[in-house]
Formats: sequence, structure tokens, C-alpha cells
Amino acid sequence: MSGTPSAVSGHPLTKAALLEARGLTRRFGGLIAVNNVSFSVQEGEIFGLIGPNGAGKTTLFNLMTGLTPVSSGTLVLNGETLTGLPPFKIATRGLGRTFQNIRLFKELSALENVKIGQHTQTSSGLWSGIFSSSGARREEKRVEAKAWELLELTGLADRAGESAGNFSYGDQRRLEIARALALEPKILLLDEPAAGMNTGEKGALTEFIRGVRNQFDLTVLIIEHHVPLVMNLCDRIAVLNFGELIALGEPHQVQKDPKVIEAYLGA
Amino acid sequence: MLEFVNTYGFLLVTLVQSALLGLSLYFPLAAGQLSLASPGFFALGGYIMAILGTNPALEGLRSSLGWWIYPLSWLISALLSGILALIIGLPSLKLRGIYLALATIAFVEIFRVVVLNLDITGGAIGLTGIPPFFSTQFQYLWGFGPLLILTLIFAYKLERSRTGRAMRAIREDELAADAMGISPMRFKVLAFVMGGVLAGIVGAMSAPFLNAWDPSKSTFDASINYLAFVLIGGSRSIWGPVLGGILLTALPEVLRPLKDSRLILNGLVLVVSSIYLPQGIVGLFQRRKPKKVLRGARVEVVK
Repeated sequence: MSGTPSAVSGHPLTKAALLEARGLTRRFGGLIAVNNVSFSVQEGEIFGLIGPNGAGKTTLFNLMTGLTPVSSGTLVLNGETLTGLPPFKIATRGLGRTFQNIRLFKELSALENVKIGQHTQTSSGLWSGIFSSSGARREEKRVEAKAWELLELTGLADRAGESAGNFSYGDQRRLEIARALALEPKILLLDEPAAGMNTGEKGALTEFIRGVRNQFDLTVLIIEHHVPLVMNLCDRIAVLNFGELIALGEPHQVQKDPKVIEAYLGA
Repeated sequence: MLEFVNTYGFLLVTLVQSALLGLSLYFPLAAGQLSLASPGFFALGGYIMAILGTNPALEGLRSSLGWWIYPLSWLISALLSGILALIIGLPSLKLRGIYLALATIAFVEIFRVVVLNLDITGGAIGLTGIPPFFSTQFQYLWGFGPLLILTLIFAYKLERSRTGRAMRAIREDELAADAMGISPMRFKVLAFVMGGVLAGIVGAMSAPFLNAWDPSKSTFDASINYLAFVLIGGSRSIWGPVLGGILLTALPEVLRPLKDSRLILNGLVLVVSSIYLPQGIVGLFQRRKPKKVLRGARVEVVK
């Protein structure tokens, strides 16, 4: 029953993988932030990414979403290679994300943040907007309605008109998730969504993430430090240390892995 | 009334012209791009009108077109400014913040040096005797006024459109906008082109108004002047550049009785307002919107 980490790369998959990372590598000068990381994520899965500080988790997210160019390796979504595409195109292909250091449009209202998230789901151009073509008006209505829906879902609807920057830390994180959901992503990448939340909020967040996954048929990739949350929430977990994938498997397997224990407790 | 119009006709039209030039900086700023290229496009538009209006080789065109030479100049200016903005914008908008400002200043300077040395633009003397569109200077208000109104409607509608939202997102956080599926380059260039086209049309309208056109239209001084319109008025609202342009153009005239010391006071106003009014004069009237309740659409959602 105890999974062997050596089986990581050749992990036999029963279902077809939705997202596949093949040897993702990123060097910053002499430092290898992400070293030859391969894994695949199945449709509908909640996939955790854990590891000590500086293990390269956020860099891996940045590589996947195109914000940081890869040094080598490829990322394939549904058979289409994403590596090399600019971030906005990767977003259009179905990767929606949040940021570790929250990057909301702080001066804009919560409602507008979520409206902006729907950019890829809409298409009206400059002139149809200027002349309020019937198509643009219909689209605007849809955008507005969906923005409200997502704010209701995240419990922020009564503060829709407030500037995002005025929100509490936890609310900002929720708003960021709402904005990412507005993209109607296939895969939602959450970078430490529970950071700065209290225990109660963390519990609610776990339920929330599970709920959205079911409601929107999402696949979720989540970076999280809070181990109980990850153990409870994730179907599978990948562990990074010094940029390398040291373990991959179901929570209870990973928990017992000696390499993981060593990475967390120090050698 | 007639006397007032005759005395202040020129100033009144200049106020509207300044508001328009301020707005030409507002568009790139709406996408977070500090561009100082407006005087270049303004000068380009003016030269197009000046050449159309004075070049001996175009005599035939002028006599056959008659009055239509003016709309034609606006159209050509808009088109060429747009194309030039695209050519300049694509490489330079990769730069950020102050570096973009420097690149656009370089464009303005290069344009000045080029027209200074070309025969078709009349070199340092420039082009004079541009046929007037109207008989009095005040009447140019019937050209600039509608253009200002159209531009304001355009800006107002833009703010409320998908394109405007994308530009705002880039202004707030380019990287986050990128991750939300918004192509930063596309909307930055679009915003830059909007500013360029507007400045170009204003230039084409200004040439007959001023009768003459020379390389001094495209200078660093002009860049800073137009930037001051936006900074003093406020860059977050369409009314900012309008208000700033009008006030800063009127101020030296209003202060005329003070003779030379008016320049000191003029400078003082600039310094004080940039320190105490970071949001511009328009910011005074907006005072951090309290809670805006926007429940209009919510009813539809709940069904």
C-alpha cells in the first residue's frame, strides 16, 4: 500500500490526463528553481502541490501559466502544448489562477474585477462597444449577471461596489477566486488560497473549493502550506523540495513518505 | 457680445483645443501608459493640412475639392497618425513607465528634426498662408466644439465597454490582466493609437486656425504642457484633461495683469496642485466614492 516515490515518473494512469507536465525546468542563473518536474493531472481532480518555502511551487505555477518562461520541458493540456504561449493565451485555453501575493485590481470595484475576469468569455470589439450594438448590450447584460452570480457564490455580493483594495485579506482571496472562476477555466490554479485566513475560514474554504469543483466541473491545482487542509481536500499531492518532485500520490501515502518527512523536518 | 467674441475668440478656441490635446494623453493613460507622443501626431496632422492647403503641386486638387479639402485633411491625418502610432507603439509599448515616456519624447524630437530638414514642410520657417476654414477665429469653435463632444462621447462609451475594462485592467495590474486572458500589447497599442489619431485630427483642424505651421509644434515643451493638463485636471476621469486643459490655458491670460510675476504664480499653481491634488482637480469632486450600491442587475440574476 505504501507508495514508492520512485514510481513517480512512470505513474500508471487509468484515466486520460487532462494536464500533463513533462520535465518542466526553470533556471535562474545558477539556481535551478524547478528541476525536471513531470506529473499529470486528471480531469476533476483536486491536485495539491506542497513543499517547504522556496521549493519552487509558485515558480511552477508561473511556468504553467506562462508568466515565467520555461528553460525546458512542456506543458500539455488536452493534447495541446501550452508552453511558449503568452499568459493571456494560456488563460484563454482554460487555465485560471490566483496569486500568492493577491493581485486584484485594487482600485476597481469587486464587481468590476469579476467582470474583467470574463474577458475571454466575451468578444465585443471597440466599435460595437462605442456604438452599443445590440450584441454588445446583450453581452454586457450577461457579464453583469454572471459577475453578480459569482459574487453571490463567494459571499461578496453586498459589497460589490466597494474597491477590492478595501477588502479584508480573506475576502480578497475569495474575490480573486471569483475572478478566476469568471474565466470559466478548465483548470483552476490556487496559490495559497488559505494564507492569512483563520481556522474557521480555512474550513469554510475547503468546503468552498470542493463545492466549486463539483459545480463547475473543475480540475483544481492548489498550492498550500496548511497541511491539514491539503490532506483533507486533495485527491493527490505532489511534493516539491529544492525544485524537484520528491513524492506524488494520495495524501496518506505522501504523508508517510520518508523523503517528505525529511524535507519537512530537515536532515 | 461681438466685441467679446472678437477679443477672446482665439482664447476660447484654444481652450477647447487644449482640452482635446489633454484627452489625447488620457487614452494611453487609461491603459496605464505614460505617452508624451501627442505633439508629434498633432504636428503631423497640422503639416498634412498645411501641405494640402499650400503646396503648389496640389493646386488642382484644391480647386476641384473646394471646401472638402478640410474634411479630407482630417481623414488623412487620422489615418496616417493611426498608422504611425501603430508603427511606433508596437516596439515602444514594450517599455514601461518612464522608459515609454522617454521613447515617446524621442519620437517627438525626431519628428521635429525631420520636418526641420524637409523641403515639403518648409524647413525651419514652416508653411504659411494656410487657407482659413472660417472667416473669424471664434468660428473655429464650430469645428473644435463638435470634435470635443464626439471625443467625450467616445471616451464615455469606451469606459463602459469591454475594451475600456481591458484597458483599465492593464492600468491597474498588467501582469494580472495578462493572466486573465487580456492581451496587454493589443490594448496598449489600441489606446496609444486612439491618442495619436485624436492628436492628428486636432492638428489638422489647428493648421487653418493658426494660418501657419512650423516645427515648434513638435517639442518637448509641448509634451510637458499637455501632460500638465492631464496631471492637474486628473487622469482617472474624462473630465480631468478637459478641465486641466481649459484651466492651464486660461490661467496665463487671467493672470496677465500681474505682468511678469504671472509666470511665477503659474508655476506655483502647478507645484501646489500636484502636491495636494494627486488625483487632479477632478479628484476634489469625487471624494472616494462611498458605497455604491449597484443592485440593478441583481434582480435579474435571482429571477
